[in-house]
Amino acid sequence: MTTRREFLTVSLAATGAALAPQLAGAASKTTKAIGTVRESSFIKGFDDFFVKTLAPEYEKLTGIKVSYEPVSVGGMLTRLTTIAETKSGPEIAGVGLNWPHLFDRAMVDVSDVAGEVGKKLGGWHDLVQDVVVVNKKWKALPWGNIGQLEVYRTDWFKEAGVTKFPDNWEDLLAAGRILKKNGHPFGFEIGHGFGDNHGWMYPLFWSYGAREVDRDGKTVLIDSDETAKAVDFCRRFFKETMIEDVLGWTDVNNNKAYLGEQISCTNNASSILVVAKRDFPEIAKVTDHALNPQGPKGRYHILNAQSLALMAHAPDQVADKAFLRWLYDDKQLSRWLVSGDAYYAPFLGAYDNHPMWNAEPRYLPFKESLKTSRPHAWPGPIGQAASESVAKYVLVDMFAKACRGDSTKDVIATAATQLKQIYKAK
Amino acid sequence: MAVGPASLARPAPVAGRPFTLKRVLEREGVFSWLMLTPGVLFLLAFVAYPFFYGMVLSLQDRKVAQHGVFVGLANFALLTQDAVFWQVTRNTFVYTAVATALKMAGGLALALVMNQQFRGKNLARAFLLLPFIVPTVLSTVAWMWILDPTFSVINWTLVHTGLIRENFSWLGNATLAMVSIIGVNTWRGLPFYGITLLAGLQTISPDLYEAAAIDGASITQRFWHITMPLIKPVLIIVTMFSVIFTFSDFQLPFILTHGGPANATHLFATYAFEIGTTAGQLGMGAAVALAMLPALALLIVGLTLYLRRD
Repeated sequence: MTTRREFLTVSLAATGAALAPQLAGAASKTTKAIGTVRESSFIKGFDDFFVKTLAPEYEKLTGIKVSYEPVSVGGMLTRLTTIAETKSGPEIAGVGLNWPHLFDRAMVDVSDVAGEVGKKLGGWHDLVQDVVVVNKKWKALPWGNIGQLEVYRTDWFKEAGVTKFPDNWEDLLAAGRILKKNGHPFGFEIGHGFGDNHGWMYPLFWSYGAREVDRDGKTVLIDSDETAKAVDFCRRFFKETMIEDVLGWTDVNNNKAYLGEQISCTNNASSILVVAKRDFPEIAKVTDHALNPQGPKGRYHILNAQSLALMAHAPDQVADKAFLRWLYDDKQLSRWLVSGDAYYAPFLGAYDNHPMWNAEPRYLPFKESLKTSRPHAWPGPIGQAASESVAKYVLVDMFAKACRGDSTKDVIATAATQLKQIYKAK
Repeated sequence: MAVGPASLARPAPVAGRPFTLKRVLEREGVFSWLMLTPGVLFLLAFVAYPFFYGMVLSLQDRKVAQHGVFVGLANFALLTQDAVFWQVTRNTFVYTAVATALKMAGGLALALVMNQQFRGKNLARAFLLLPFIVPTVLSTVAWMWILDPTFSVINWTLVHTGLIRENFSWLGNATLAMVSIIGVNTWRGLPFYGITLLAGLQTISPDLYEAAAIDGASITQRFWHITMPLIKPVLIIVTMFSVIFTFSDFQLPFILTHGGPANATHLFATYAFEIGTTAGQLGMGAAVALAMLPALALLIVGLTLYLRRD
C-alpha cells in the first residue's frame, strides 16, 4: 500500500517533471541563483520549509539555487531601504504594512503574476489590494496577514467570573478592573514599539468612529468628539486595568510579561501561544485568542499583509517571476502556509476554508479578523504621510500622554497639529 | 703602470647609494604618507563621504527609493515647527549634560582609586573595563531585564530593604525612563573616563606630591593644585570624546525605550532613524541628524581653544 509520504513524493516528482520544461523555458538560461530576503518568521517551521523543502525542490526542477536571508524581527524595513538605495542585494524581498507604496519605484510590476494566481486560487481579497496595488499595479504578492488580536488567560478570566471574552471595550474594561484587583492586570503596549502598539490603538480609535485623516489625505479629522471619547476610554482602560510600565514597552515586553504570568490579557499576534506551546505548555493550555472588542462604531483590526516583492534591480526578472509563479502555485503555497501553523492568514478565496485552519481552533479568530482589518491611517491614503505619522507615533503618543495625565483637549490638539504638518493640511 | 682602455671606459661610480625601492620607502616623507594612507582612505570612505552625503541629503526632499529634489534649508525650517524635534533637542542636551557630568566625576574618582597601591589592583583594573568591552547591544538587553518592573533586581532590592513599597516603572515613567538611560550610559562610559584619566595620573611624578606634602599641603590641596592642573588636558580631551559619543548615542535608547514613553527619551539619533527609515524621508532624517552638528562643533572648537590657551 502506498503511504502518504510516498504518494506526495511521486506527485511532486510528476508535477516537477511536467513543469520543468515550462519553468526552464521561462527562466533565463544564465540565471543560476535567486536571492530572497524576509523578516525571519516567529514560526521556525515556516522558514525551515522554505529553506529545506521549497528551495531544493525548485533547484531540482530548474537548476536555480534559491537562497534565503533572514532578517531579525523589526529590521526588515531597514534592510529593504538599503536594498532599494544601493540597488543591490536579494532580488525578492519580503514586505509588510504599506511598504509597496513607499518603495513603489524600486519594485517591479507583478500584476501579471498576481492576476494568474488570483484566477487560479479563488481571487484576492479586496482589502489586501489597498496595500500592495500602487497606481493600479501590483507591486507585491501577499501570502498572509499577521493579525493582532486579544490574547488572554482563560483561567484567570474565569476566576473573575468572565467565561466568554468581552465583546465590547466597556465590558473588557469591567473585566480588567476585577482582574487587576485579583493581581492579574492587563498589559497593552502604549510605548514606541513597531507593531503591538498600533495593533490595538488604531482599532480602538476607529471603533469609536475617530479618524486621523479623510480619504482625500488633506482633511485632518482627528480633532473630534469621537477621538475625545476614544482618548477618555483609553485613559480609564490604562489606569483601571494596567500597570504603568506599558507606557515604556516595546514589542518584546508584552510577550515577556504574558509568559512571565505578569499580565492576563494583551494584544498580540499568535506568537505568544506559539512560544507558550513550545516552552510553557501549562500557560498554553489556559491561553486563548479573541477578536478585538467592538466600540460604538464597530469592530476593527490592523492589517499587516506579508508579501513578496520583486526588486527593480533584479537582473533577470523573467527568471524571478517564474520562481514567484511556481511559489504561488497551490502545490507550493498551500504546503508553505500549513508549515506556518496558521500564523499567516491568506488573502486568497480558495484558502478561506483551507485545512490549515483546522489544526488549532484557537487560531480561527485570526481568519475572522481579516474582514475588519484596515491599514494604518485608514481611511486616509497609505503613502508617505501615513508612514510619517506612524514613525512619529502621533496616535500612540496621543493616547500615551492622556494615560500619563495630560488633558484630552491638549493631547488631541498636539496630534492635530502634527497631522496637519504631516499631511500639509490647513 | 699602464691603464687599459677598458677600465677607462667604465663610468665612475655615482656618489651615494644606488636607487632601490627599499631606499625610497625609507625616506621619511614617503614612509609617513604610506603609513597614513590606509587611515586617511578609511576616514574618507567611512567618515567624510557619509558626512558630506548626509549634508547633501539634508538639503533635498529625498524620499526613499526616489530621486531627491533640492529644497535648500526647507527641511531645517520644517523641523523648527516640529514640536517633537524640540523635545528631542531638550532630551539630547539633558541626556548629554547629566551623563557627561556623572561620568566625569565617577571616572575621576575611579581613576584616583585605581592609582593607589592595593592587592588585586591589576584584576580590579581589568574588571573596570568590562562595561566598555561588552557589546552595547548585549549589555543593554541585560539592562532591560534589570529595569523590568517585575523582574528588576533594583526593584527587588528596594522593596526588600523597605525603601519603596511598590515597584518603580523604570522605563514606563517619563522621568524615570530618562534617569534610567542616563544611568546605563554612565555605567557604560565610566571605564573610558576611568582608564584614560588613570593613564594621565600615572604621568604625574610622585616627587611633586612628596614635595607638596613636605610643605604641608593637605590631600585636597594636592588634588586641586597638582593633580587637576596636570590632568586637565587629558580631562578635556576625554570629555570632548565623551560628549560626542553621548550626544550621538543611538543603540542604548533605541533598545531600551525606542524613544518612549511619549518621546521622553527620544534623542537626535533615534529620531533621525525613525524619520529617515520608518517614514522613508531620508532628506528630513539627515536634517535631524545634522541638527546636532552646530552644538558639537561649538563645543569642540571651544574646548580646543581652551586647551591651546593653557
